[in-house]
Amino acid sequence: MLTLVAAFALVAGGCGGGGNKSSSGGSNGGKTYPLLRVSWDAPDYMDPGLYYTVAAYQATNYVWEGLLGYKHTSGPASAELVPYLAEKMPTVSADGMNLKFTLRKNLKYSNGTDVKASDFRYTIERDFKIDSPGVGFFSAIKGVSGPNGFATTKKGHISGIITDDAARTIEIQLDHPEGDILYILALEFAHFVPTGTPASDQSTHPIPSTGPYMLQDYVPNRSFTLVRNPNYNNQIPTMPSGAPDKVVGKIITDPVASYQSVVSGQSDYDYNQVPNDRLPEAQSKYKDQLRIYTNANTWYYFLNNKIPPFNNIKARQAVNYAIDRQAIVSGPFGGLGRPTENFLPPGYPQYKKITDFTFDLAKAKQLVQQSGTAGQTVDVYGTNEEPAKGSIEYLAGQLTKIGYKPKLHLLSHGVYFQTIGNQATKAQAGHTDWYQDYPHPLDWFDVLLNGNRITQTHNNNPGNVDVPSVNKEIDALKKITELTPAVNDRWAKVDRDLMVTYATTVPYLNRSSTDFFSTKMDMSCYTFSVVLYWDWGVSCQK
Amino acid sequence: MATESTTDFTLDTAAELASEEHGAIEGKSPWLLAWRRLRRNYVALGFLLLFVAIVVMCALAPVYASQIAGTGPNEVHLGETFTRDGEQIPVVSKGGFVNGKFVAGGIPVGPQLWHAGGKYVFGADNLGRDVAVRLLYGGINSLKIGIGSALICTIFAILFALLAGYYGGSVGWIISRFFDLIWAFPVLLLAIALGTALSINGFHHFGINIEAGSLWIPTLVISFVLIPYVGRPLRGQILSLREKEFIEAATAQGASPFRVMLSELTPNIASSVLVFFTLIIASNILTEAGLSFLGAGVQAPNASWGTLIADGQDRIVTAPWLAIIPGIAIVLTVLSLNVFGDGLRDALDPRSKVRIER
Repeated sequence: MLTLVAAFALVAGGCGGGGNKSSSGGSNGGKTYPLLRVSWDAPDYMDPGLYYTVAAYQATNYVWEGLLGYKHTSGPASAELVPYLAEKMPTVSADGMNLKFTLRKNLKYSNGTDVKASDFRYTIERDFKIDSPGVGFFSAIKGVSGPNGFATTKKGHISGIITDDAARTIEIQLDHPEGDILYILALEFAHFVPTGTPASDQSTHPIPSTGPYMLQDYVPNRSFTLVRNPNYNNQIPTMPSGAPDKVVGKIITDPVASYQSVVSGQSDYDYNQVPNDRLPEAQSKYKDQLRIYTNANTWYYFLNNKIPPFNNIKARQAVNYAIDRQAIVSGPFGGLGRPTENFLPPGYPQYKKITDFTFDLAKAKQLVQQSGTAGQTVDVYGTNEEPAKGSIEYLAGQLTKIGYKPKLHLLSHGVYFQTIGNQATKAQAGHTDWYQDYPHPLDWFDVLLNGNRITQTHNNNPGNVDVPSVNKEIDALKKITELTPAVNDRWAKVDRDLMVTYATTVPYLNRSSTDFFSTKMDMSCYTFSVVLYWDWGVSCQK
Repeated sequence: MATESTTDFTLDTAAELASEEHGAIEGKSPWLLAWRRLRRNYVALGFLLLFVAIVVMCALAPVYASQIAGTGPNEVHLGETFTRDGEQIPVVSKGGFVNGKFVAGGIPVGPQLWHAGGKYVFGADNLGRDVAVRLLYGGINSLKIGIGSALICTIFAILFALLAGYYGGSVGWIISRFFDLIWAFPVLLLAIALGTALSINGFHHFGINIEAGSLWIPTLVISFVLIPYVGRPLRGQILSLREKEFIEAATAQGASPFRVMLSELTPNIASSVLVFFTLIIASNILTEAGLSFLGAGVQAPNASWGTLIADGQDRIVTAPWLAIIPGIAIVLTVLSLNVFGDGLRDALDPRSKVRIER
């Protein structure tokens, strides 16, 4: 039986700007207040089947819900899964291929209609019909993959999802064990929508919700409003019912304007990063209103392991030695980051700190000479937005210093990942970063560095990292559903093998971010979840 | 953009000329007369000198970089220090988490003038690159693009104006509609659209291969979008000249259209072309700065004054010199060209008919 996955010790690395740290629970004692005004970044969609940005995810934490969700608390415990719409955690068969859920009784959508077990199947099938970015997560469900699978035909039903509305049961059958299946079921793409919800983007026609709030309106690039769900009746006792009666989000994408909006008291919270230029001011003048945290992310340089010069391990080691990680944190990131040589972020129980590549330019030059690749041209790709632009210019500068001839290609964010994910581009090196979808090593190593998943286009592994022995180990670990200390050690070895033994990639930092509040907010209620970020539902005002 | 004369400059009177020639008035070429007028315009000559000084300083960038600053324009110095008065100073302030407490960093060192032996005279940027070195190299790129695009734009404008003005008819109609088509778009928007599209993959058509990031991209884009702004007024002048007796005489003597255009029409628009050329360099430097500021011009890591301002805007509070210094460079260059151009126009065309309307 698949046991409950141990709670991840994902330490947020949160650090106050000098103010008091929140209590561990971060509870507001159930107090409510009338209005929360937030300055927010633009969400991509406001439809749970489509959105894939933190801006949308964090805003709608309390709107649409799934069978499972995360515990609303601070610290490592916030990575723990708890039943939301499900009555309890599922019953899982011994082979890990069959999961059975029972829905809570009397669940209702915000429009008053009943939540049915068959809505779950409809939700997943709708994801496929609207080409949701999350469909890949459900490929292990029986009846999804293959030439006659639902992913291809989009007709009939997914055979691996069996529901009984009367008994409120949902059975999920898998083709093979999937170690992270419970986390996948907590993703937004599995958040319930009523059967019959149109299979098209419903961002501006709010879909009825099951959480404590509902989306009242959304004007793309302008604003969104959340109000209390009139039919909620505390139907999910494992999550808070929310403190503000209403949340008004003003979409301000310019970080300076967003910051200024909080300083001037027009907003209570700045979702955007406080600009590096304003950080010293924020730290000195508004230290009690500033919180700095490091969530689960890794910024790294990919090196194309398939083509010269980086198909040579010495050349890859040279780049690892040529990067002064602390210098990047200080420069383009203004200090907002923690240097790393690991691919997996700190806080994961599988994390074992790597310190093999101490900055050593002389050694890097020597390795380049030994590799016989000195003088080669390297096409380096990056985005033209800070801080990624600064970090890629730094890489180009260091490549020049160790004997290569870098040719920099800076692209807009909108086309960047598509470009480097296309094998025809033949990117030899470049910038990329990853923020976890859910707290499981598979979301890192399988998605990003498993050589068996390299594709011609939309490749998530632009470095074409393909180490057969490691691929085999990832595939083996994928089938293990229980993360015991021994399994965690095996994941740590995967990290070490890929980053040190084969030096496939150059991770350089875990980026830190800011939460900035107006003086109206009571910071003693500040709660930061490693998965849900700032938990606005348990915030409070003075 | 309309350039207005700021100089009170009048035609030479016969008396003035006579006085200069010690009583005897001799026939002088228009160019000599223009030079006489120009040399008395000390303001214009002063600004010409300033422009020449800027060009010379930029041309000496490699010497400055290697002999004084000791660093290249794209050489990053993150995590490094330099010596000032015997003290080691970090090029970019260190930031991060020290004992769990966050320290804001990334503030580059400010202008050192000559206190650091020629290093970081105008400070460093957020990657620790020497701003003075990048300013001079950026100046080379800005001037190359400004002058190069002005040259290409003027050559094509003359060509189109001669063809449209001399032949008229369907040739004139096609060229005029081409001018109208470009004119219909706001200059900067059209330039951004073209610059952005070309800066991704470069230009690889009709046997022409221009790589992404090449200076040819902003140069050609700016040339293209400004052609009608020079071509239209020149076409007007050609239309007027075509009706003159000397053209009729040349045609009657059997001169070919090519000869008429080259030997009769072109010399008669030369003064206007010269003025246009001077003024449009300034205009093009500004356009390049705008394009590069918006990411559609010179591509990183190469610098231009526009990219330097763009890089500096993120640090406008903590390191204002990053944007101010290249801003001053642009102002001085454009001002010097505009004032000199006005003086040149006053000298060549005292009735001030020539204007660039944008």
